[in-house]
Amino acid sequence: MIGGRARRRLLEAGQVVAILAFIAIMLVPILWIALAAFKRHVDVYQLKLVFTPTFENFARVFAEPYDLGTKLFNSTIVATVTVLIAIPIATAAAYAFSRFRLRGQTLLLVVILATQFVPAVVIVLPFFLMFRDLGLLDTLTGLVIVNLAIVMPFAVWMIKGFIDGIPVDTEEAALVDGSSRLQVIRNIVLPMAAPGLVTAGIFCFIIAWNEFLFALILTSREAVTLPIGLALFKAEEGDLWNLMAAAGIIIMVPMFVLALLIRRHFVQGMTMGAVR
Amino acid sequence: MRDRTLKYLLVAPAVFVVGATAVWPLAESLRLSMHAGRLSRPDFPQGFVGAEQYAWAFLEQPAFWNSVGVTAAFTFVTVALTTLLALCFALLLARGGRFRSGVQSLLILPFAMSPALIGVSFRFMFNPEFGLFDAFLGRLIPGAADINWLADPTMAFWVVVIADVWGWIPFLTLVLIGGLASIPRETQEAAEIDGAPAWKVFRDVTLPQLLPVLAVVIILKAIFSLKTFDLVFMLTNGGPGDATQTLSHYVYFNGFKYAEFGYASAVAWLMVIPMMVLTYFYARFVFDRA
Repeated sequence: MIGGRARRRLLEAGQVVAILAFIAIMLVPILWIALAAFKRHVDVYQLKLVFTPTFENFARVFAEPYDLGTKLFNSTIVATVTVLIAIPIATAAAYAFSRFRLRGQTLLLVVILATQFVPAVVIVLPFFLMFRDLGLLDTLTGLVIVNLAIVMPFAVWMIKGFIDGIPVDTEEAALVDGSSRLQVIRNIVLPMAAPGLVTAGIFCFIIAWNEFLFALILTSREAVTLPIGLALFKAEEGDLWNLMAAAGIIIMVPMFVLALLIRRHFVQGMTMGAVR
Repeated sequence: MRDRTLKYLLVAPAVFVVGATAVWPLAESLRLSMHAGRLSRPDFPQGFVGAEQYAWAFLEQPAFWNSVGVTAAFTFVTVALTTLLALCFALLLARGGRFRSGVQSLLILPFAMSPALIGVSFRFMFNPEFGLFDAFLGRLIPGAADINWLADPTMAFWVVVIADVWGWIPFLTLVLIGGLASIPRETQEAAEIDGAPAWKVFRDVTLPQLLPVLAVVIILKAIFSLKTFDLVFMLTNGGPGDATQTLSHYVYFNGFKYAEFGYASAVAWLMVIPMMVLTYFYARFVFDRA
């Protein structure tokens, strides 16, 4: 018996070591970038762990010619407006899909699901031409429109999952008592679904914030977002790593906070309910 | 208002948005792909050419076949490696408890990183002069420190693979932990009591029950691998030469560097076809569970 316990303890120790090694590999690239953001230019080019930290890089990325503040503003506006448009629209559709049978419901749901898998390069070619004709190139409005394309399928499927989980009894009781369907939605469904809506909103915000290809092609000066801003630091004299790292921190840290807030629902969101 | 009318009013805005932002561009690229479309000329798009640009890609463009090969190899290798490693980590982490749950939470972080930033991060790590991985591998394998990773076609391909696998392992691991958690413990315990060794319990009891989740994970990862663009753009920009040029990058290059919109649309549509096949299988899994 003792032998069995010792063996089990050894096995557990081995597993803990393996887990620690694994998580170290997952975190080192992030930590290394984070460290570089606080290094002076000369320290970046050496594998130093001990160095005098500086905030100079952050000051420089916000100053001319990089002006990351504008990109931060653009990213925030685009992601926020995208979410504010997508979530109400998706909620209405998700409620209908969850509570009623519609003609062609399965087909509609499959089309919405499939939208997520259409390569972004396919979507961007016609939009480039349309925006060129409408004067929407390099505008935040244009970016919001194309970002809706990528967040919509996630939002509909995620919110449908949350509404599916709300029991219908209370709704039916209220309907019998003479409430209208819209009153039921406003007074019963929305309050109960609120945490789910916030979760879906955060999830879509992260996707829109990290979006790269649309912003790369459809913006040039005015409406440039943060991920595209990274390319500014690929200078003629080589990459300005410490500035790139500082910009990287500004891009990733807010998303880390948001992602940790909704970590339980991340998997469900990405797989659209195929895995719960 | 009657429910019968209301339900269609509720879905109408969403259907409109999806139609306008996804279905319309798909149809429009199909139309463009059949027209000669040089953006630099004023009479854009020029005349109808039917399937000529598709034939052009297949018959006259070695660069197209190169990007097909790169994308196929990249998809195969990243799907296999990510799934295999994620399965190992999921098995290590599935048991729960405070330590393992804490590690699971940390796994969200790489996944919340934008792929463009992952590209930057790995270019930094594999820099031959001061990259951390480069220095580390140099200690491990003599001579490895002298390799200029991103200048060598084969090595550059593997650096892109490593960066992609690194970025996707957390997500796949979390999905598989979810899958493992949904398997009833009793079946595994019964096999353990019968004296079956751990690997046999895994192979004969756990793995068969995990197969549906594994299938979902593999299809989903394959779809995302086929689309890969951001990472490649920031890490290698398709190079050296066209050694890491994926199909998405090839379309981008033809459309926006050479202004060949018709040809780019044709190649883009060739990407849509495998995507539709994969989506079909994916949708079947989603609806089987519903």
